[in-house]
Amino acid sequence: MMLPQLVVSGISTGMLYAVVALSMTVVYKATTVVNFGHGDLVMAGAYAAFVFTAGLGLPFVPGLVLALGVLFLMGLVIERALIAPILAGPHLALAMMALAAGNVLRGAARLEWGRETLMLARPYPQTAFLLGPVVLTMDDIVITGVVTLLLLVLFAVFHLSPVGKIVQAVFQSQRGAALVGINVSAFHGTMWGTGAALGAVGGALLALNTALTPDMGAWTLVRGFAAMTLGGFGSLYGAVLGGVLLGIMEKLLGFYVSTAFIDITAYVVTIAVLLVRPRGLFGSGALRRV
Amino acid sequence: MASPRRHQRRLFWLLPLALLPLPLFLDQYQQYVVNLMLMYVPVGVGFNVVVGNLGQLAFSNVAFFGVGAYTAGILMAKLGLPWWATVPPAGVMGALAGCAASVPALRGVRSFALAIMTLAFGELMRWTYIRSEWLTGGSMGMAVPASDLLGWRLDLEAHKFYVFLVLATAVVIATDRLLRSRVGRAFMAIKDNETAAAAMGVATGRYYVLGLAWSGFVVGIGGAMYALLVGHLSPDSFNLIELILEFAIIMVGGLGSLVGSVLGALVITATPEIFANFPGFEELIFGLLIVLVILVLPRGLASLLARLHPLFRDRYLEDA
Repeated sequence: MMLPQLVVSGISTGMLYAVVALSMTVVYKATTVVNFGHGDLVMAGAYAAFVFTAGLGLPFVPGLVLALGVLFLMGLVIERALIAPILAGPHLALAMMALAAGNVLRGAARLEWGRETLMLARPYPQTAFLLGPVVLTMDDIVITGVVTLLLLVLFAVFHLSPVGKIVQAVFQSQRGAALVGINVSAFHGTMWGTGAALGAVGGALLALNTALTPDMGAWTLVRGFAAMTLGGFGSLYGAVLGGVLLGIMEKLLGFYVSTAFIDITAYVVTIAVLLVRPRGLFGSGALRRV
Repeated sequence: MASPRRHQRRLFWLLPLALLPLPLFLDQYQQYVVNLMLMYVPVGVGFNVVVGNLGQLAFSNVAFFGVGAYTAGILMAKLGLPWWATVPPAGVMGALAGCAASVPALRGVRSFALAIMTLAFGELMRWTYIRSEWLTGGSMGMAVPASDLLGWRLDLEAHKFYVFLVLATAVVIATDRLLRSRVGRAFMAIKDNETAAAAMGVATGRYYVLGLAWSGFVVGIGGAMYALLVGHLSPDSFNLIELILEFAIIMVGGLGSLVGSVLGALVITATPEIFANFPGFEELIFGLLIVLVILVLPRGLASLLARLHPLFRDRYLEDA
């Protein structure tokens, strides 16, 4: 009876995808731009966490906080310097710009660390608990806990605080939002920074389990896309649910069909959802900006 | 009645002729790099038709490229066909991949969603090369046997050069014709405003299929050239770094410009050869180049040339 075990480890993996999808959703909600360089921000976040903890010898939590700060600035600078000047332009330029910016980050990481295999040390003991037939590792608990917490915070910010109203206003009409006194450009910059910092959380969690490579960005980007598409673009819980479903699907397909399918679950899900139900599970369907 | 401009444009056809004596002055390695540039001409031209002329965010170019390369490689290695006989099937398979990539566009998927989907398509194809070990040699790759053209050896770089020159010139001429025809004007209308184009009676769906199929055909031929030139195919050659390289070609050359595609292929292709010893450097350089071009020179190098002399201006760009 492998099923419960597969579902549990699927949820844990899926939570990683969910946090990447969440961070991309924040960027999308604020600027209606899909950031094709986001995977590389996740990668940069993982490396930043590594530099502050293993490199500078700081304890894990302060190191992670500093890494989040660095990534916040990085997201802010990318938005202000590269995205803002062309935000009103064609989607083509936006997609290429984001892709190119991500590529610069990846190239820089490869130049510096391309020949080494690095791991982030776990700040907690690597123990496992037995719950009936299911093995629950400390990793599973930490990842699920952190992502659930993030979702709650984001939900509060977007739905219970005044920030949510700003998001709605800017999403509907940037000009209108500016007219009622919202500083739209500051808002855009902040949201890109927040998205990048959230991505860094995902990167750090990912680096606890797998080796750091400059190419982890592409891997995370594809899965983040799949989770976002499945859940529906622009929906926070859609992103989380999409990530979790994707994680479970990967484990089930990998076990019951063939391990070869683990790699392509995300691609197949993306293509199938966009062909059959482009708005995903919870999306508003407003992916086209007319 | 041919306009004086059209007479002047015929001067362009002197360019391939002027290149004919080039192999006399180059050593083996330099000749290889020049061949690589010529190989990227059809790849860039095909990509630019979809992204620059049709205006669609279709990131599936690397898939077409890989399909063409593997079609040529498999036909040569498994069936023992000579290389020249694999060029048309490589183009046709590329065109079929193009038709497949146009399905989401026909379902109404546009913009970022289309980009995500075609990106997934490309990665799915790469997975297929890795998993079809009996056919493609899996992640170890496959060797492409040496070939000849009716007794003329094709394992010499100088000989490859002449074949590539003919193919690249043919692709550029054919695409020039296509873009200056009714089809090219339909692409332009779709790019500017799809709804308005449909309202004017342009059968937009048909042109999506046509644009992507033509792109696939041309890029597939580029793939066959790649198989001959490099002599070894591995799935890693068709990854996201390759996509960025092809992006850099059309962005730096000039979006929507045929002159730009050629120029981009010539300028960008040499870069990875120069920096081959510094992994990461080419990604960094290409990334910075694309960022700079978008911010400073949105129409690429082709717009600089057009400023120099009106002869270089593309007639199928809206401001030309």
